[in-house]
Amino acid sequence: MSLWIVADHTLREAVRRRVVLAAAVVIGGFLALYGVGVWFGYRDISTDPDLTASMQRVIVGFMLQGGMWSLNFVASLLAIFLAVGSISGEIDQGTMHAVAARPLRRSSIVLGKFLGNLLLLTVFIGISTAVMIAVVAIITGQFAERAWTAPFAMLFAAAVLLAVTIAGSTRLGTLANGVVVFTLYAVALVGGVIEQIGNFLDNPVTFDIGIATSVLLPTRALWDLAGAQLAQQSGSTTGMTGGPFSSLNPPSGWMLLVAAVYLVLALAYAVRAFQRRDI
Amino acid sequence: MDQAAIHATGLHKSFGDTHAVRGVDLSVPRGEVFGFLGPNGAGKSTVVKIILGLVQATAGDVTVLGHPAGSLAARRRIGFLPETFRFHEWMHASEFLDFHGRLAGLDRDTRSRRVPEMLELVGLAQRRRDRLATFSKGMLQRIGLAQALLAEPPLVVLDEPTSALDPIGRRDVRDIIRALRAGGTTVFLNSHLLSEIEQVCDQVAIINRGQVVAAGDLRQLLAAREVELRLGDGADAALRAAGLEPLSARPDEGRYTLTAGSDEEIARITANLAGAGVSIYEVQVRSNSLEDLFVRLADSTDQ
Repeated sequence: MSLWIVADHTLREAVRRRVVLAAAVVIGGFLALYGVGVWFGYRDISTDPDLTASMQRVIVGFMLQGGMWSLNFVASLLAIFLAVGSISGEIDQGTMHAVAARPLRRSSIVLGKFLGNLLLLTVFIGISTAVMIAVVAIITGQFAERAWTAPFAMLFAAAVLLAVTIAGSTRLGTLANGVVVFTLYAVALVGGVIEQIGNFLDNPVTFDIGIATSVLLPTRALWDLAGAQLAQQSGSTTGMTGGPFSSLNPPSGWMLLVAAVYLVLALAYAVRAFQRRDI
Repeated sequence: MDQAAIHATGLHKSFGDTHAVRGVDLSVPRGEVFGFLGPNGAGKSTVVKIILGLVQATAGDVTVLGHPAGSLAARRRIGFLPETFRFHEWMHASEFLDFHGRLAGLDRDTRSRRVPEMLELVGLAQRRRDRLATFSKGMLQRIGLAQALLAEPPLVVLDEPTSALDPIGRRDVRDIIRALRAGGTTVFLNSHLLSEIEQVCDQVAIINRGQVVAAGDLRQLLAAREVELRLGDGADAALRAAGLEPLSARPDEGRYTLTAGSDEEIARITANLAGAGVSIYEVQVRSNSLEDLFVRLADSTDQ
């Protein structure tokens, strides 16, 4: 099936153009640094007589949450970079012509690229989060059972970003698409903080602006779902939550549905726009 | 209509306010080499892309071997070498052909037979393990040709297939085109190189400003000559009476230019004029080269 041929081609391209190697080296370095940080951090808190066992638990949970948030950020950027020129870049370079003249549907090209990049992100997120959870568990002896929600939220957010970036790529040039998608991502990220400020100040307008950014791009809201699980796991209630790593008011389960609809609409738009585009 | 490899009627394409193609009719017979030529910006590439389904026509109909252009059935029957010949340069030569073989729907056995055959045909067998990034432009154009012929399509569309090749490479491509014709394949050749068209094409269409300005059998088109005459009194009336429309006329000097499809036709014209009592002082016959024809047609539609 031509969709799988395109997905396979997309995966091979990422490996052969050393995208995978570069990501592995950078993330490997980050995880190593992170492990060193956790080791020293835990040595201090575990020997501090003023900290109770439950407080230690909260601090360790916070370290894991921060680490996961960083991985989420890197996965999001990777999703944008992988897909930013996927359609228009290939048209501009001329590599699309021979491919699109072959007997395959344009939808197979769009969905194949989505699938190929999603598989790559799945491997990236799966390995990096597993290593991080293991590093924290080994060093601190604290295993976060609910941490598994984080990779799923990350993958979901990455899938949404991939779909939006590919959709943008059917209409915009590589640079313009990168600017648009990254701006959307940044707005959603900052919107989460605005939402918290609105909540803190009890200002409904500010709060609603924050919520609106989640509808604009639900990546941050998806992270909040996982962030809340991580926070509950470590037993923290208010003291350590908030800030960029987690939300005081995690979105309801409906956000998953909103994000799923968003993802499907973005892909449908990408397919339709590419079908209509002259190459 | 099904006899034609490509059949286009009333093809139009606009990009915003620009009318790139305005009412193109084409009929490309099966099993022949069809030359498609025209000056830069004439609309050639747009027509080619419409045939391949890369660009959608604003109006008009195109069928490829009886199937609507752009349909999967039509694309299954076409091999295409793009003008830009830019491919995924991270791939090895044989890997690249294998990828296109998969896209074309060839099974593994067929691919493992055809890929080495094609590399051999275009003289790149020694480079099969090399990445396309290390290839020269000429080699990229050769591998592009291999990619177009890989699935043994009944119709091959070659867009400027020799633009990056040296004279030996050009001769090789001409030989390949002739071999394709001998095997019954239709070749649609888009080219600027008039000598190339003259050497391999059976039929041609010349396009200018988005319209076909001449089409037909190449030999017949080239057989048309220009006849310059210097004539005595009564020439105007005699030409009119004989139903002859001069290309240009300067009656005060008695100079008229006509076209004639053959030597016999020139003899008939002069006999006709002599029979009408018109004095013939001078007859100059100029045969057309494809270049003359091309330049004349390009100029006349530009005016």
